[in-house]
Amino acid sequence: MQKIMIDPITRLEGHGKITLFLNDEGDLENAYFQIPELRGFEVFSLGRPAEEMPRITQRICGVCPEAHHMAATKALDDLFHVEAPPVAHKVRELFYMAFYVTDHTTHFYALGGPDFVVGPDAPAAERNILGVVAAAGMEAGLAVINCRKRNHHAIKMLGGRAIHPVAGLPGGWSVAVTPEMRDELVRIAEENVEFARFSLQLVDDIVLKNQAYVDLIVGGAYTTPIHYMGLVDANNHVNFYDGKVRVVDPDGVEVVRYAPHEYTQHIAEHVEPFSYLKFPYLKAKGWKGFVGGKESGVYAATPLSRLNAADGMATPLAQEAYEKFYATLGGKPVHHTLACHWARVIEMMYAAERMLELARDPEITNPNVRNIPTETPTEGIGIVEAPRGTLTHHYATDANGILTMVNLIVGTTNNNAPITMSIKQAAQALIKKGEVITDGLLNKIEMAFRSYDPCFSCATHSLPGQMPLEVEVLDASGNVLKRLSQYVD
Amino acid sequence: MSAKPKVAFFEFTSCEGCQLTVVDSLQDHPELLDAIEIVNFREAISRRDHDYQIAFIEGSCSRPSDEATLKAIRAQAGMVIELGACAHLGGINTIRNRQNLDDVRHYVYGDKADWYETYPARPIHAVIDVDAAIPGCPIDRDEFIMAVTQLLQGRMPQIPDHPLCIECKLKENVCVYQRGMTCLGPIIRAGCDAICPTYGDGCEGCRGMISNPNFDSLREVLAEHGMSEDAIKAKLTMFLTYQMMDRGGIGDDNGATNA
Repeated sequence: MQKIMIDPITRLEGHGKITLFLNDEGDLENAYFQIPELRGFEVFSLGRPAEEMPRITQRICGVCPEAHHMAATKALDDLFHVEAPPVAHKVRELFYMAFYVTDHTTHFYALGGPDFVVGPDAPAAERNILGVVAAAGMEAGLAVINCRKRNHHAIKMLGGRAIHPVAGLPGGWSVAVTPEMRDELVRIAEENVEFARFSLQLVDDIVLKNQAYVDLIVGGAYTTPIHYMGLVDANNHVNFYDGKVRVVDPDGVEVVRYAPHEYTQHIAEHVEPFSYLKFPYLKAKGWKGFVGGKESGVYAATPLSRLNAADGMATPLAQEAYEKFYATLGGKPVHHTLACHWARVIEMMYAAERMLELARDPEITNPNVRNIPTETPTEGIGIVEAPRGTLTHHYATDANGILTMVNLIVGTTNNNAPITMSIKQAAQALIKKGEVITDGLLNKIEMAFRSYDPCFSCATHSLPGQMPLEVEVLDASGNVLKRLSQYVD
Repeated sequence: MSAKPKVAFFEFTSCEGCQLTVVDSLQDHPELLDAIEIVNFREAISRRDHDYQIAFIEGSCSRPSDEATLKAIRAQAGMVIELGACAHLGGINTIRNRQNLDDVRHYVYGDKADWYETYPARPIHAVIDVDAAIPGCPIDRDEFIMAVTQLLQGRMPQIPDHPLCIECKLKENVCVYQRGMTCLGPIIRAGCDAICPTYGDGCEGCRGMISNPNFDSLREVLAEHGMSEDAIKAKLTMFLTYQMMDRGGIGDDNGATNA
C-alpha cells in the first residue's frame, strides 16, 4: 500500500496532517486528516477562577483570540447572572467587527484565498500572498497590509492588545469609547467598507470572469450537500456577536433554531478511533457516518454555512453581494465548498458595514460600560460566531466561582466531519488509476479542506499533550487491513 | 556582518500568536528584510532551508519527540532565542503541570491511557541552552524589532529586568491595588507598557518574574488584599507555574513536577 502525506499542511494555522491511503492499483483507499498535538484547555482550566477564562482560552489560538475572548466573556455574563449595559454590548460588537474584518482579510488574501485568486494549478511558490499581489496588483498588497494594521490598531484601542486582548469582563467591557476614539473608529470602519468593496470587486474580476475558476467552484469535486449552521438575529439575518443558532437542511429548510442554553439538546459529539478530535452532529438526525444529505446529522459551520443558514444580511452592501452570490451559483443553499472564499468576502463587507453603524451609533460614547455582578455564579453558556464556525463556551462553577466543568465546541471542530468528507471526495475525484500525482493535484485536495479555514490550534483544545494516533484502514467489510501509528514516516 | 544572517522560525506547543506578531512587525518594518534572510518560517513562507545562524523558537516543549528537533536546532544555530511566554516560561501550557498527570491522562485517554505517556510542558531552555528570550504573551512588536536590531549590531537583546510597577507609574496609572483589585506587577518584568493594569485588570505575569523578585512580600500583599491561599496560587500559576516549581513549588503539586 502506498501512502502519501502532506505534512505539515502549508499555510494552515496550527498543526495538521492529511494522510491518503492508496491501494495497489493506485486508487484512493481512504483519506484522513489528523491532529498530531493536543493541548488540554478544558482540563487544565478546572479549579481556576472563572473570570480568567476570557484571558486563558484565547491562548488556544493566536489567530482568533478575540473569538474565544468574546465567547468566554458572554459565558461569564451568563455565569454571574449579570446583563451587560446596552453600550457594552455595542462596544464589544464594534471590537468584534474590527476583528472579523482583519481575520477574513488574512484568510482571503494570505491563507486560503491564494488557491482561489492565483489559481490551483499555479506553482506552489506563487500560491501565496505575493502571488495574490502579482495577480491583483501591488495596490492590493498594500491595501491588505493597511487593513490589518488599522484594524489591529482598533482592536488594541478597544481591547488593550492586538493579540490576546484583556477588556472582557462579566457584565461588560473595561474600555469606554471616547469621542476621539469614536472619530478614529468611524474613519477605520469607512476604510474597511471601501476595502471590502475592493475585495468583492477582486472576486468579480479575477475569479468570476474566469470560466475555468467558476467551473472549479461549481464542479463536483468540491460539492457536499449537508446541514448548515449559523448564528442569526431576530430577522434571521447573519450575526456574529449574538442571536440564536439556526440550522438548515441540504434543501435550505430550517431544522432547528436554538438559544445558547439549549445547545446540549441539539448537538452531540461522536468519537472515531482515528481521531481524538470529536465530530459534533445534530442530535435530531443522529450520527450516520461520514455521509451528507438530509438524514445525516453532519453539519458545517463556515462562512458559506452562515449565509446558507440565514435569510440575508443585515446591511445593504452585504445584502446586495448576498443576492448576487446566490443568483450566480444557482440559488440557495450553495453546496460548493470553494464558494466559502466568496462567502467570506461577503461577510467581510457585513462586518465592515456593521462596524461603521456601531461606530456612528450616538450611544457608543456612553461611559457606562459595566454592570458589577452581584449574584452567586452557577453555570454559563456563551455563543458567538468565530470566523471558522459557531463557537460555544460552557462553564459551571462552585459558589466561589471556581470552575468545575468546562466544555468548548470550537469553530473547526464543528467542521471536522465535513472536512474529512471533503478531503476524501476531492481525493477520489482527482486521483485515478496510474495518474501521476502532481503538486497541483495534491494542492487541490488540500484546497478541499482549506476552504473551511481549519484552525487546529483551536480544535485541539480538548486534550493535553501530544496525541499519539492510530490510523486504521478498513476494507469494504469493515476488516482492518492495516494499522498505522502516528509517527510512521 | 557582511552577508545577511540567515534566520529561521520554529514553533512547538503554542498558539502561534508570537509568529503572527513577527509577521505584523515585519509589515511595519519591511526594511528589516534587507538586513536578514528568512530561510525557514512555516507560518509565513514555503521555504524550508536548514542552513541558518539565528533560530527563534515559539512554544513550549511538551512531547518527547520535540527534544530531538530542539537539539538539532541547537546544533545548527549559532544563536537560539526563545520567542514569547510559552518558550520562555512554558506559558499557559504549564497550568497542566500542576495537575496529577496520571489523572489527566485517564480523563483524556480513558481506557487507552496506558498507550500514551504524558509530559509536562517546559520552556525551551529546560531542554537546550538558549542565548536570549523575548518575553510576553504574545511578544511585543516593538520589542521584537528592537531585539533583532540589537542582534544585528552584535549585541544581546536588552530586555528590562525591573518590575512592571515602574512602567505603570510612568503611565500615571492609579495602582490596581488602590482600585480594589490585585496585581503581580511588583515581581514581573516590565516592557509591555503595562497593558493589563492600564485596561483595568492586574498583571498576570506573562513576561515572567524579574531576576530578584521580592516574592514573600508579594504573597503578604496579596493576602492583605483579601486573597485566599487558593486564589493566590491561581494568580501565580497562569503563566508562572514552571518558574514557581523551579523555585521550590506551589504547595499543592499533586506529585506533579517540571520534568
